[in-house]
Order: sequence, then structure tokens, then C-alpha cells
Amino acid sequence: MIGCEFMWKLGGEDLQGYFPVRSECQADVPRTRFKSRAGKTLSARRWHAAFTEDGHLDMERVLRRIQRGGIHPSIKGEVWEFLLGGYDPDSTFDERTKLRNHRREQYYAWKEECQKMVPLVGSGKFVTMAIIAEDGQPLEESSVENQEWLVKTSVTDKRVLQWMLVLSQIGLDVIRTDRYLCFYESESNQARLWDVLAIYTWLNPDIGYVQGMNDICSPMIILLEDEADAFWCFERAMRRLRENFRTTETSMGVQTQLGMLSQVIQTVDPRLHQHLEDLDGGEYLFAIRMLMVLFRREFSFLDALYLWETVVSDDVGYGVQSKQLCII
Amino acid sequence: MAGYRVEDDYDYLFKVVLIGDSGVGKSNLLSRFTKNEFNLESKSTIGVEFATRTLAVEGKVIKAQIWDTAGQERYRAITSAYYRGAVGALLVYDVTRRATFENVDRWLKELKNHTEPNIVVMLVGNKSDLRHLLAVPTEDGKSYAEQESLCFMETSALEATNVEDAFAEVLTQIYRITSKKQVEAGEDGNGSVPKGEKIEVKNDVSALKKLGCCSN
Repeated sequence: MIGCEFMWKLGGEDLQGYFPVRSECQADVPRTRFKSRAGKTLSARRWHAAFTEDGHLDMERVLRRIQRGGIHPSIKGEVWEFLLGGYDPDSTFDERTKLRNHRREQYYAWKEECQKMVPLVGSGKFVTMAIIAEDGQPLEESSVENQEWLVKTSVTDKRVLQWMLVLSQIGLDVIRTDRYLCFYESESNQARLWDVLAIYTWLNPDIGYVQGMNDICSPMIILLEDEADAFWCFERAMRRLRENFRTTETSMGVQTQLGMLSQVIQTVDPRLHQHLEDLDGGEYLFAIRMLMVLFRREFSFLDALYLWETVVSDDVGYGVQSKQLCII
Repeated sequence: MAGYRVEDDYDYLFKVVLIGDSGVGKSNLLSRFTKNEFNLESKSTIGVEFATRTLAVEGKVIKAQIWDTAGQERYRAITSAYYRGAVGALLVYDVTRRATFENVDRWLKELKNHTEPNIVVMLVGNKSDLRHLLAVPTEDGKSYAEQESLCFMETSALEATNVEDAFAEVLTQIYRITSKKQVEAGEDGNGSVPKGEKIEVKNDVSALKKLGCCSN
């Protein structure tokens, strides 16, 4: 990867090297403060030592470590699978291998289902332009550039149409997701993010795709090599977060969190609350982004992951994110 | 146009909203105007983001508080808060993507549903630097703007073309309407409009537009 040789040295160990930043973007990226600390951070050695011979995991011990110092970047993916509840620590290696294979098959079956509707899925490419008109009719070929991906027949099924219509929005967001990371210089990596989001959206029509999900999904794509494993991790994370993304004509789920945050601030610091009320009517809209993408935009990639894993390991859960926000 | 001033040293505070489809360049227009920055790696806006800039208009110090919004329709659920108190709007489309121009109508309706009728609206065709990809001719934007009595400009946040002018124009229009309203209110001595001389602010906007706007 050209332009990615530049890496930061932190705490004696090159952590940023795990997620290299494009050299031309160095100045725009927040500095990472996370450091791997001996005796505190969960290291690869400690992690592997926490398993019994047949694969039972001493989760308590692992959690204590994570709370004290986060997870070393080299093992984040595999630890997160447990942390997010994807695998039972009391299961054996064999049981998990079976479960993993089963889940992969399931994912690839769904992917095939989507591929049949839109062959672009799984092709290593994706779209940022509409592939069908809003009324379900095929688009005029002359009006669009990426003609080869246009849906050729009219679509009447509402769920299918809704899904097809949002694919360009996912594409528009994918090209703007963590662009400063070398990882996303590769179009096929962008396409993997697009595929996972597209398939999740197809399976969750009640929530659909909402801007911000890309920021939640992106780390999974980076941390887990297998696309199916990344999907399942994302799906797990979304179980905690999906209500934030639920929208109706007049409300967004995240408003519940905003209301909670408002109450907390009102109690903790009434003068600050009053000030915020004067500024934007007390709806705490400024905090939407923080709560929806869990500080991905405020912190560097590694720092945001560190925050996520300490919050989850604390077993406080995301349900009380607003309180976490206050602590921060 | 004067430079930046001390944060709270201003005569007027105007709230302006940036609306339009996803990916048309709203956030980059904002960062170009408020920080003179353009980011090729810019990210999608989640919910709403804010920035301010203070500038001089006709001898007065105006502080513009600009609300940048997410383009995705799903975020419209919380729009009433976006629009509350807005006195100006930049309705942005991407000159290289026809669909974003076709959606302008929908945005305008939404804007009218949520704001006061005298709000100053400018239609902005952004990404004018991408001449080779042009999908919306200038004439189309212009004639739509005329038909709907909007101001109109084509901009390039990347090349910093017309960005300053677009915001300054909107803020100037707002200022003229506001100060005229104040003069009218002042004439009567106790704040009400003189009898028989009621001037609709709505009409003033179109009058002003005929005079000084749409200069592009």
C-alpha cells in the first residue's frame, strides 16, 4: 500500500500500525491516546491463556483485563466476538467451529438471495447512484452512468423496492466511511462494507438502513477477516443499538437517549442544562452523533474501539450510554 | 466583507439551515465558509452539526449560526427542530447528479412546511468544478429558482467559487428584511406597523430578489 508506511509509535509499541492511516490524511485524524499497557491491556498471550484445553473461556478474568486496559489490537476481532455475545464462553472449540460454519453458511445463503435480486451484491463493486426509480420502474438508461447495474424490470414488492432504493445511499456513505484508513483505499474492502450493510438492511426492513450504521459496521469489517464473521459481529452490536436507528414519520429512536441525557445533565449540572436549553431548545440535538455512532467521530479509530470495549465489558451495556457520556 | 471577530461581538444572530440530498456537499460548503477548509475525505453528517461565522453586512456585525443536516430522508423525522427559528436556507443540489436536482422540489415543500413564509432561500448548484460531469445545466437551476422566487448560485466548495458570495447574499437579504421590519416597527413609536401602510415581509423578499439577488 503506497503512502501507508508512515506509522506512529506509541508507548514503545507500534499500535497505529495495525490500522495504518493514509499519509496525506495524518493531519486530519485525531491523535490516538490508547496505549497497550503491560499488566493491564488484554494481550494475545493472556487471551490464549484464558482458555482451557477444550476451549472453555474464563470470561471474568478477560473482562477484568479489558476494563483495566482494553484489548490489544492484534486480537480485537476474536475477543469482540465473545464480548458482543456472539459466542458462549462456556462452549468448546469444537462447538464454536460448528456454530461458526453454520453461521457462515447462513450468511452466504442470504447473500445469494440478495445477489439474485441485485447481481451487484458480492461482485466486489457497489453503487452510489440509484438503480431503480422510486416508483419501482426501471430508470432510463441514458440518464445514469452505471447502466450495467440498473434493474431492468419493474419492481412491485414493497420490501424489495425499499431495499433497492437504499442501496445507493449505502454506497454514498461507504465511500465516506473511515476514508483516512489505508484499509479503505481498496475498492473490494469498501464493497465488503457495502455488502454487509446491504444484507443487514434486507434482513431488517423494520429498521432499514440509516446513516451512521456504516460507522458502526466499519470496525467489524476491519477487525474480522471473514465477511460472514464481520456480519455476525455487526448484527450483535446492532442488537444493542438498533432502537436508536428506528425512525417513524415524526421521531427517531435516538431521541429516547437524548431525553435521558437531558435528564442526567439537568440533575448533574442544572446551569449547563439551562445553557443548552437556551441554545437549541433543550433537545440535545448536538449529541445525536455521539450517541448514534458511539464517539466514532470524536475519537481516533483505536480510541473509539477502546471506549466501546471498556463500556461493553463493564456490562453496563449501551442502554445507559447517556450516563457513560456524562462520565466522559 | 470584514474578517473574523470576537465571538460574541455581534449585532444580529441569524440561523441558517443547509438542506439537500445526501452527498451534494453541504458539509464542505459549511467548512469552506466557516473555516476556509475543504475535505476530500469528508464523512456523512449524522443528525445535525453546527458552525458559526461572524461577518459584516452593510456596516452591521452579523453572526451566522449555520445548521448542517443529514441528507438521508430518514432523518427528516427530527426536522422540526432543525428548522425552528431559521431565517435563511441554502438548498443544495449536486450539478453532476440530476436526481439531487429533481429532489429540490421535495426539499422546498418541506422547508415551507416548517418555516416562516419570509425565510430567505437560495438554491445552490454545488460541485461546479466538475464541468465534464455536468448533468444539470445552469439554465435549469436558474429557471427553477426564478419560478419559485429563490436566489440562485452555482458554487464549488472545492475551488471556493461563490461560496462566500452565496452565504453573504443570503445573510444580506435576511439583514435587509430584518432591519426594514425594525424601521417599520420603530416609526409608530410603540412597535406596531403604521395603519394603512402594512408591508408584507413576504412581498419584500421578492422585491429584494428582483433587485439584488441571483447575480450569478
